[in-house]
Amino acid sequence: MNLATTLPLLLGLAWLLPLGSFAVIVLFGPRLGRRGVGAGYLATLAILAGFVLSAVATLGWLSEHPIAAAGHGEAHAAESIPPICGEWYTLAEFGSLRITIGYYIDSLTLVMFSMVTLVASCIHVYSFGYMREELGTVTDPMVTLADGRPLERRGRFCRFYQYLSLFSFSMLGLVVAGNIAMVFVFWELVGICSYLLIGFYIERKSASDAANKAFIVNRVGDFGMLVGLMVIWSTLGTFSFPEIFEQVRPAENHHSLVVPDGMVLAGVKAEVERIVLDAPGPTEAKAAIAANLPDWREQGHGRWLLILAGLGIFCGCVGKSAQFPLHVWLPDAMEGPTPVSALIHAATMVAAGVYLIGRFYPVFAPEVLVVIACVGAITLFMAATIAITATDIKRVLAYSTVSQLGYMTLSLGVGGWLAGLFHLITHAFFKSLLFLCSGSVIHACGTNEMPEMGGLRRKMPWTAYTMLTGALAISGAGIPLLYGLSGFHSKDSILAQAFSFKLENPSLGGVFFWTAASGAAITAFYMFRLWYMTFAGQPRNEHVARHAHESPWVMLGPLVVLAFFAVVAGWTLPVIGWGVPTVLEQARPAGTALGAAGRLVTVPAEHVSHLPPSIHIPVSFIAFLAALAGFVLATAFYGLRRLDPEDARRTFAPIDWFLRRKWLFDELYQAVFVRPVFWIARSVAAVDTRGIDGVADGLAWVTRQVARLDDLIDRVFVDGIVNGIARRTCRIGLGLRSLQTGNLRQYVMWVAVGTVALFVLISLVWDFAIAG
Amino acid sequence: MNLLTQPVGLAHYLVVGAILFVAGVVCMATKRNGIGVLMGIELVLNGANLNFVAFGSPSLRADSQYAIGLDGHMAALFVIVLAAAEAAVALAIVLSFYRDHATVDVDEADELEG
Amino acid sequence: MFLPNNPLVVLSLIVFLPAAGALAICLLPRGRTEMAKLSAFCVTVAVFLLTVWLAIPGTSNAESMRFAMGTGRMQHVFSVDWIPSFNIYYLLGVDGISLPLVVLTSFLSMLAMAASLKIDLHVKAYCVLFLLLETGMLGVFMALDFFLFYVFWEVMLLPMYFLIGVWGGPRREYAAIKFFLFTLVGSVLMLIAVLMLYFASDLRTLDTRQLVACHVREDALWQGKTVPGATAGSSGSAENTVGQANRGIRAIVLSDQPLHTFNIMALAEMGQLRRSPFDAKLLWGKSIQWWAFLLLLIGFLVKVPAVPIHTWLPDAHVEAPTPISMILAGVLLKMGGYGILRICYPICPDAAYELAWFVCGVGTLSMVYGAFAAMAQKDFKRLVAYSSVSHMGYVVLGLGVWSITAGNLMSTDYWNLGMNGAMFQMIAHGISSAGMFFLVGVVYDRVHHRDLDRFGGLFAKMPVYSGISMGIFFAALGLPGLCGFIGEVLVVLSVWKYSMVLAVVAASVVILTAGYILWTIQRVYLGPEYKGPHGEALTRMTPREIAIAAPLLALAIILGVYPRALLDYTEPSVKHTVTSLATWMEDVKLPRLQAAVAAEDGKQP
Repeated sequence: MNLATTLPLLLGLAWLLPLGSFAVIVLFGPRLGRRGVGAGYLATLAILAGFVLSAVATLGWLSEHPIAAAGHGEAHAAESIPPICGEWYTLAEFGSLRITIGYYIDSLTLVMFSMVTLVASCIHVYSFGYMREELGTVTDPMVTLADGRPLERRGRFCRFYQYLSLFSFSMLGLVVAGNIAMVFVFWELVGICSYLLIGFYIERKSASDAANKAFIVNRVGDFGMLVGLMVIWSTLGTFSFPEIFEQVRPAENHHSLVVPDGMVLAGVKAEVERIVLDAPGPTEAKAAIAANLPDWREQGHGRWLLILAGLGIFCGCVGKSAQFPLHVWLPDAMEGPTPVSALIHAATMVAAGVYLIGRFYPVFAPEVLVVIACVGAITLFMAATIAITATDIKRVLAYSTVSQLGYMTLSLGVGGWLAGLFHLITHAFFKSLLFLCSGSVIHACGTNEMPEMGGLRRKMPWTAYTMLTGALAISGAGIPLLYGLSGFHSKDSILAQAFSFKLENPSLGGVFFWTAASGAAITAFYMFRLWYMTFAGQPRNEHVARHAHESPWVMLGPLVVLAFFAVVAGWTLPVIGWGVPTVLEQARPAGTALGAAGRLVTVPAEHVSHLPPSIHIPVSFIAFLAALAGFVLATAFYGLRRLDPEDARRTFAPIDWFLRRKWLFDELYQAVFVRPVFWIARSVAAVDTRGIDGVADGLAWVTRQVARLDDLIDRVFVDGIVNGIARRTCRIGLGLRSLQTGNLRQYVMWVAVGTVALFVLISLVWDFAIAG
Repeated sequence: MNLLTQPVGLAHYLVVGAILFVAGVVCMATKRNGIGVLMGIELVLNGANLNFVAFGSPSLRADSQYAIGLDGHMAALFVIVLAAAEAAVALAIVLSFYRDHATVDVDEADELEG
Repeated sequence: MFLPNNPLVVLSLIVFLPAAGALAICLLPRGRTEMAKLSAFCVTVAVFLLTVWLAIPGTSNAESMRFAMGTGRMQHVFSVDWIPSFNIYYLLGVDGISLPLVVLTSFLSMLAMAASLKIDLHVKAYCVLFLLLETGMLGVFMALDFFLFYVFWEVMLLPMYFLIGVWGGPRREYAAIKFFLFTLVGSVLMLIAVLMLYFASDLRTLDTRQLVACHVREDALWQGKTVPGATAGSSGSAENTVGQANRGIRAIVLSDQPLHTFNIMALAEMGQLRRSPFDAKLLWGKSIQWWAFLLLLIGFLVKVPAVPIHTWLPDAHVEAPTPISMILAGVLLKMGGYGILRICYPICPDAAYELAWFVCGVGTLSMVYGAFAAMAQKDFKRLVAYSSVSHMGYVVLGLGVWSITAGNLMSTDYWNLGMNGAMFQMIAHGISSAGMFFLVGVVYDRVHHRDLDRFGGLFAKMPVYSGISMGIFFAALGLPGLCGFIGEVLVVLSVWKYSMVLAVVAASVVILTAGYILWTIQRVYLGPEYKGPHGEALTRMTPREIAIAAPLLALAIILGVYPRALLDYTEPSVKHTVTSLATWMEDVKLPRLQAAVAAEDGKQP
């Protein structure tokens, strides 16, 4: 099998199938089948076909590139396999700059493809049950109209699947993307799908608020990502992954990180300008610059650009993966239908941020990795603590997701590339399982509030025990040093890497490690708190309990499938060595296996954390004990009720308040960002209407006044003179009228006298004239 | 220069014309009878006419060898015709005035006072 | 094709067909309003078809009216005497920069005329003015004689004034006069600059090749006269231009007085000469081209409009009837950007290099300011108007990022990228803003208010309308796959090379844009029920309305997915402009800068 031609074909097809389904549903949605149920079949078929294609692709890959050896150590040491890169389509081309739609296929892509299509298929199937009522007329009790009635509306089954298809397309595009610009394109598209699906219940104000919040907060992250893109684009002149990696980690330099020429030159713009202006010609200038380049690089010029590029890209990941400080949107995003929460806000889209960190790993300088680790550590701890006090079942899971994403980020930050991505995959399975279970519960109870539930174990056993599987998986249940559920393996490797980091950097690493370890304890605590409150004990609300029922098989089936993967996703098959970590290892970016030494920290190589028992054994036991502690505490509080949660709440009232207010982030952002922005907006609008328009209108007013003055001058002076002459003439005429006596003889007298007088006068003048 | 001792020349004609003119004007200014005023007008016109004729006479002109000298006579003829027309109109006015006011006293005719 | 292969006929037909239509409508008997509307619509359709026909790509040969892709030069140029005593010619032509704008103009005119079919006040006058407006707009984009350009520019002004002032909303007089005065100030400044350049220009400074390339006519060169043996004006035919120009050259050499010209291409050649006639000092130590650039720039920025001379726009939009808003936002604003690209930069490169910071600053300011102002609006149309200010800021910024500097090793690609982005953004904004204004109009026709706080729930009542609206609004938001994204991203990506600070500020606008557009969508389309008056009037979109809005959405998607449909036209021409400026930069400006540095060095020790 020629992978270079078949894999792009297979994955491209898997990628485009949901797009086709989306287009068909947009155009003919409600006409497909009875009340649009055909739309669901179409979308499900498309994504299932996508899963089959990705599975075939993965198997093809594995048959071509078998796992080097079953042994742990050799697998790590194996050379990474070059990816299959290429372009499908050029969007735009400007001289040497090209923006393309391409692919970058390595085992990470394949694993992500398989995971996404598998989880998405399960969720598509599950949604048939969950969204069934959307086929008819829906009464939404959460929306009250102006006349006091609850809202009644037509179901939107097609639209749901339409959005799901669009999302699947965008998510797969993001994964297969061959360049960072294409990632950004699909990054935005998954964002808008998330927006549309969070706001699926468009009539609910809370839903549309949450959708807006999700998109806008993500845009804040995208802003950072855009800055990163600009840096890369302007300094490296390319977006393509292989070209960027080649410039940042050139092969002749043993794939270790160097500041690329473009960044060095951008860092010394003033010197370059000086040289060009001083040099007699362009060739001399080029030679002088080339001569100076190593010195400049040595002096660290342009390194800040490399760091900025990394931070910018990471900023996008912070937004998408709901990391501190942009995590606030994810809990609110639970306003969407539960399958959406499972697919987008647990398994795939939010993991895209982590995926991008992993994909872009070669570019991150150690300084950036420290930031990544810090953000991850803060996130995992903060979100875990909030999850302790949340009572909405989906919100607990949402904060749990944030916390687990924090784990992944931390892991990538401390050098655990494999561990982080491994956790991404396992987390996708058990978290989507947990969400679907919670959806099943919500479907049965009609409420999200855990204090209303309780004792549901007997009514819905399948849901209860699949959820228990999920809870065990996320808590990392297993036998130390041997086998466990999927979360056990991935979390162990993260903790091991953090421990290894601690050995290199005692102070900072200590904080990271102990945060992660305590996070494991808190995880176990809140997960079992959730399980006990929902399923154990006696029903707390009779109405809810009577109403509850087991979900139909169309919903339970996916639960079972996901539960299976939640158990086994961490395992590595003996003999052939197939397993998520071993396959992922093939995609390890060149040069990142060695670790890196930065000015602040030393990032240890990843395989170091797995080999020596000095790391492996203590970490395994610490993790096990932490999880056990959390489990025991939860059992004491909520399972056996030996301790009263209310007591604890009263004892730690300020902390409880702080956690219930979610560390006050919403209030803080409201005060620091939202209100000032609106204030600025209003001021700008006021400047416009009062300031600029005021000036314009003022000018108009002045002009009118000048015109009025002009008018006055016209009337008083110009007209005044003319009219005055006329009036004087008139008056003189009136005066002369008295001479007209009508007496003929008088007239004759006047004529005679006048004539004589004239003659006398003339003769006088004549005389003078002669004399003169 | 004594006119009386000179042979009859232009100056004599002019003197006679002037006397006639002045007499006419005085007549116009003093007569209250409309007819009298008309007679004054005739005197004035004829005084002027005399001047025309005198100036137009070839025997009295210095340029007689060049000009035929009919211009003065032409003017005089116009004046005569004009005077006749004027007299006719004026007499008609006087007559109609008399019919209305039963008098020809021009001092009574002051309706055109300004 | 039945059309003759004569550019004079075809281009004149495109420009003056609307005017002829206007004349014909004048002659229609009183009361035939339906016929007037219908014939006006037919004229716009005919013009649109003509422009599309003009845009069909083909091989580059003189016999064909096909548009040659990839050359970047002016095509279909012809020149006819108009006012020879002042060297004014009827000189038209198209290239990859103007052609997309011409097609956009005719396309939007057609849609706007279709949207005008509901007008029932003084219909004949409306149609006549509308068609005159179209003639003016098309003329501006095709004119290559500066004076002709100015004339078309003014021709377009007056119909617009009446269309706003007669058919507008309650404050129409205020808005119309405001529009008129602002634009008039701009055009007066432009006129000053036109005359400055005309009287400074001298065709004697150009050589034969340049004169031929600029389509300068022979009789323009003969004004210096007194060539022994040469017979002036003997050959009027168009062939053998080189020979003509050669004879003209002798005339120029012998001429002892400057030969002025309005030819835009020739002015550009002169502006980029090593010893440009525009380099003479004029006032306060600044050269003629510095002042001309500034005056022209301000004139065009009024039209764009850029902050702080943008306040005519919201008022004009709010008061103008829907179709006129579509034209205003879709086409008129583009003239500013087109003018900057076609006239300011090529003619006054030295001034442009010096004032690049000003252009970019104004662009960025407009982006940020417009976005903030849009966020605070309560009136739907005003909001869209401010979003136009913000989006046109991208255009100005993209045009202005002069990154061919010594510090960047004279790299031209990024500026090329920015200018192409600006071009793309112009077309994309033409589509999305016209669509947005139309969609606002659709709902205004039904409920007669535009108060954003009194909408809501339109999605349930008008699903198709809401679907199309969200598509168009997302295009304005810059969502990938729709046209707005490409323009914005190309511009933003080009800025870093010019200035990092501006780049960061420009990138931050994506947050604000998302903010105001999503908030608008939420207030208008989402929610349980409609809150304003006349709720019963909210009926579904009529087929006519769908027929107007759907092509816009389709175009937004096509350009978003296949941007090369547009870039293949614009890129060669933009590259031509950028390359000539880059050549100027290397040949003319760089030695000057080097000399300045050397002088400084000489002074210091």
